[in-house]
Amino acid sequence: MNELKQREEQKNRFFQKDNTIATKDRVVAWPRMGNIDLSMNALVSSLGVRIVEAPPNTNEALEIGVKNSIEGICLPYKLNLANYIMALEKGANTLMMFQAPGSCRFGNYTKMAQKTLKKMGYKFDMVVFDMYQSKMKQTLQAFWHVTRCANPYRYYKGFSTGFNKAFAIDTAERLLFYTRPRELNKGDAERCYKKWYKIIAETTSIWGCKQLKKQIIKDFKKIPIDKDKIVPKVYLLGEFFVLLDPYTNKEIEKTLGDLGVEVERQIFFSDWLEHVLQPSFLYKKESHRERCVRFAEKYMKRAIGGETIETIGDTVFAAKNGVDGVIHIMPFSCMPEIVSQNILTKVSKEEDIPVMSLVLDEQTGKAGYQTRIEAFIDLVKRKKMKQNLNNKK
Amino acid sequence: MKQNNNGVNVIGIPRAISYYNNYPFYFGFFKGLGLEVLISDRTTTKLINEGSNYVVSDTCLPIKVFVGHVINLLEKGCNTIFIPSLQSTAYKVNNCTKIRGLPEIIRNVINKPFKMIEPTLDKTNNISFKDFCYDTAHQLDIFDENKIEIAIQYGWSIYNNFQQMALAEIPFEEALKNAIENKIVSKPIEVVKPLSVVIMAHGYNLFDERISMNLIKKLEKMGVKAYTGLNVSKQNAINSIQELGEIQYWANELDLTGAAAYYMLNNKVDGIIALSAFGCGPDSLMVDEIQYHASEKGFPMIHLTIDEHTGEAGFVTRIEAFIDMLIRRKRKKLKNNNIKILPSSKKEQITKKEDKTVSFV
Repeated sequence: MNELKQREEQKNRFFQKDNTIATKDRVVAWPRMGNIDLSMNALVSSLGVRIVEAPPNTNEALEIGVKNSIEGICLPYKLNLANYIMALEKGANTLMMFQAPGSCRFGNYTKMAQKTLKKMGYKFDMVVFDMYQSKMKQTLQAFWHVTRCANPYRYYKGFSTGFNKAFAIDTAERLLFYTRPRELNKGDAERCYKKWYKIIAETTSIWGCKQLKKQIIKDFKKIPIDKDKIVPKVYLLGEFFVLLDPYTNKEIEKTLGDLGVEVERQIFFSDWLEHVLQPSFLYKKESHRERCVRFAEKYMKRAIGGETIETIGDTVFAAKNGVDGVIHIMPFSCMPEIVSQNILTKVSKEEDIPVMSLVLDEQTGKAGYQTRIEAFIDLVKRKKMKQNLNNKK
Repeated sequence: MKQNNNGVNVIGIPRAISYYNNYPFYFGFFKGLGLEVLISDRTTTKLINEGSNYVVSDTCLPIKVFVGHVINLLEKGCNTIFIPSLQSTAYKVNNCTKIRGLPEIIRNVINKPFKMIEPTLDKTNNISFKDFCYDTAHQLDIFDENKIEIAIQYGWSIYNNFQQMALAEIPFEEALKNAIENKIVSKPIEVVKPLSVVIMAHGYNLFDERISMNLIKKLEKMGVKAYTGLNVSKQNAINSIQELGEIQYWANELDLTGAAAYYMLNNKVDGIIALSAFGCGPDSLMVDEIQYHASEKGFPMIHLTIDEHTGEAGFVTRIEAFIDMLIRRKRKKLKNNNIKILPSSKKEQITKKEDKTVSFV
């Protein structure tokens, strides 16, 4: 416990909280990662503080990030930094971010971003909270510091709507992955998803947010699909940020869906949020991570940080549940995923499941990327066809 | 388990990664347990190529070298190999993922039958160093507590001797050799060199003569004294990091940021050389951190990146250019203070040239 306190003191010294900004002048910004801004908007605005959305990740954003960060750092940091800079230009003065020390370079992002931005001459208040021991307390403290909101109902409303929005959008995404390869009229599923994205963003009431999930399921069921179509199933695994961010992974789910493949992703923001923020004695069922540890046992005896154990565990799980292939994506020079890549070679051979690793960096061209995916999908489809033939015989 | 001619069990330790920091302890500990220690051969190009065949191309050079060393031990007939997983060395001070997952990589990459001794050190999750030692012994089927305690003490005594010599600025190889023979030698009298630099690098990059291409000796030939992370005590390193206003994040940060910060804050060196392997995650952050403070304090700094293809010629040119710049800088500084000294290396060069001309005539 003593060490924990020391560590926290050190952290507080580094991220000195700025109390000079009045609450009503505060404009909060948050780095982008997939659909995280939906929940963050709901939470922060219900606590009564303005929030400014960083512009979506594009080539221009990446260029700004690359220009201002060091050579060897990984891609997610470059985009995060770009988000901060663009948000500051738009008038933000409070930057919020969570961190999880002990995983990989991720624990150092905020430290570096603060230094870089101060060097560039921006004035802002960086509020950081850790995602390990005493995480709930730290999270609340951070939001209290920013909003000075003492009304428990508002906290309840913020967290409730935020959570439910995250669940709703992830449900929509899951259904989209299922429907896209099976739909009869091309584009139906995509249109439905976009419609619901807008509705989710606009809903504000607690009751409305709670109902979203059911309504989405109902609406997706209305889309005409070919139920008997044989669709190969592919798992999408890898690094957290790259999986969630559609710009970085070049919308790989869409590419695969258009090729007639059902994609399943094991990592969703809402699942992770639920796992991380809940105290461990409240877990109802075996969490995703626990399942991964169980399945990866043959190949790994210990967790080594990052998402290595998730990647390995899910691959084994996929092989045992009749999934046809695994696509493993990671940013260039990602430390934990390089270890997984090494291990996956053996897993692929022993469990008899095709695995393809894709390394993404700021120079990846979409054409070469598409060719590799198509070739891999051809392989998966042929394997599936052969299996079906054998079954018929 | 392989046995030597006298019937003593042999344990293999790869000459890579934690060898360069902890070998004195490992040696004493296993000797105390009644085992013979076998180290792999020195790194060669062939060994690196062999290691690269087993892992994916994105893996960093030190890991490729490590795999090569394990293969080397297996070829020697050793079938019990010590591969520790050093997860964290203090609360929330973690190692690089690849070092944490060394046993996992080796298990899945090398498909040969051998026994791996894979203890875990993880102070974040309350697995202390003592547990680490007990775990090692238990995996070797040694359960006698007295024997283990004595072995730990013997390990520490050798490690302390090594540390003492390293702090007294005795070169790594010499200190290691003497420590293993249970001797302490005192520091030889040295000619004061005109220039001094601190090299911030991991032990496994710097002291491996193939990877670092003999950087320390090259610098010595140019008349430059090179300090390393071994010459700074742990406490000094931690204090220096705090004094810079940074938080220790990586387990092996003391060798890099700690050493550089210590010499920088005490104004003991003229420049900083950072040596890191291509694609190294921790280094990319630590070097940047020091670069930021060095530019603030006006210290010259060079960042050398190495991989398995680095040509020696280009490497030397970069070091020479950097040292030349340091000499010019120092001369200017002395001139401003009205002190006239020529660096010894330049002096030698000049006298040599004169000799040649005389003999030629």
